Amino acid sequence: MARLSVADGTLIVEVEGLDKLWALRSRLEIPLANVRGATADPGIVHESKGLRLGGTSLPGVITAGTFRSAGEWVFWDVHNPAGAIVIQLADERYSRLVIEVADPRAAVALVEEAMRAAGAAS
Amino acid sequence: MGRPRAFDEDDAVRAAAGLFAARGYEGTSVDDLVGTLGVHRGSLYKVFGSKRGLYLAALRRHLDEDVLPLTAAIAVADGLPAALAQAAAAYDSAPAAGLLLLAAAERAAADPDTAALVDEGLTALERALAAVLAADGAAAAPPGLAQALAATVLGVRLRSRAAGGRPGAEAVLALAAHLLR
Repeated sequence: MARLSVADGTLIVEVEGLDKLWALRSRLEIPLANVRGATADPGIVHESKGLRLGGTSLPGVITAGTFRSAGEWVFWDVHNPAGAIVIQLADERYSRLVIEVADPRAAVALVEEAMRAAGAAS
Repeated sequence: MGRPRAFDEDDAVRAAAGLFAARGYEGTSVDDLVGTLGVHRGSLYKVFGSKRGLYLAALRRHLDEDVLPLTAAIAVADGLPAALAQAAAAYDSAPAAGLLLLAAAERAAADPDTAALVDEGLTALERALAAVLAADGAAAAPPGLAQALAATVLGVRLRSRAAGGRPGAEAVLALAAHLLR
């Protein structure tokens, strides 16, 4: 599970609990200018994750860490598919983040609202 | 960078518009989009950024390909009855029939970008009807008549969707005849 917040034009993704160990990361900070969108996408867990390059993957239990797929780096932290959201990035090491959040609808709204505010401010 | 896209973006947006028109924004999952559009999930996110990004592209396309050409034709229609009949029969029409009205009802209040596109489509209809009124020499037409007629067209379109596509141009024509008497 991960928690999203926004501060000073930056999207902060905090990986919670033991997932820090499984994912080998505890925190990602992304400038909002590099965030292209967020989408609730429970079905993505059924797709191929690509090659695991650090982290943990127990099919059906947890996917966490850094994966490389179709020439892109993707960060995963998902146990329960129902909470999975996809955050697409630009000009970042990761092309996208696939993370589980407590409330996907609220998380997507948070990202979209922050993108709008950042777009209006720039 | 530089990797060729493995799918035709225009085809994908067109297919997405049809899907969103049929199922609404919330009712269309990324699984639905990936399955119907025949694109890889990664490509979809790479090109459009999010489901919302694809939705806005689909609505933009619906305006450009369906709505605005029709309103341009209405604006030069031969008289108000012809313009209204055309609007009632075909405004917000195929292939993504209903997407504009659905967007107005489902997404516009929550999403300013959707609201702006919806407003563009609705304003185009109002302007087209105003142009026809002006060309008809209806100098005595009350202010706001074009907006009222456009609103009636939308209501008739919605009503006809509920009635299985039965055209409802008569209602708009009756109102116009009454007002312009």
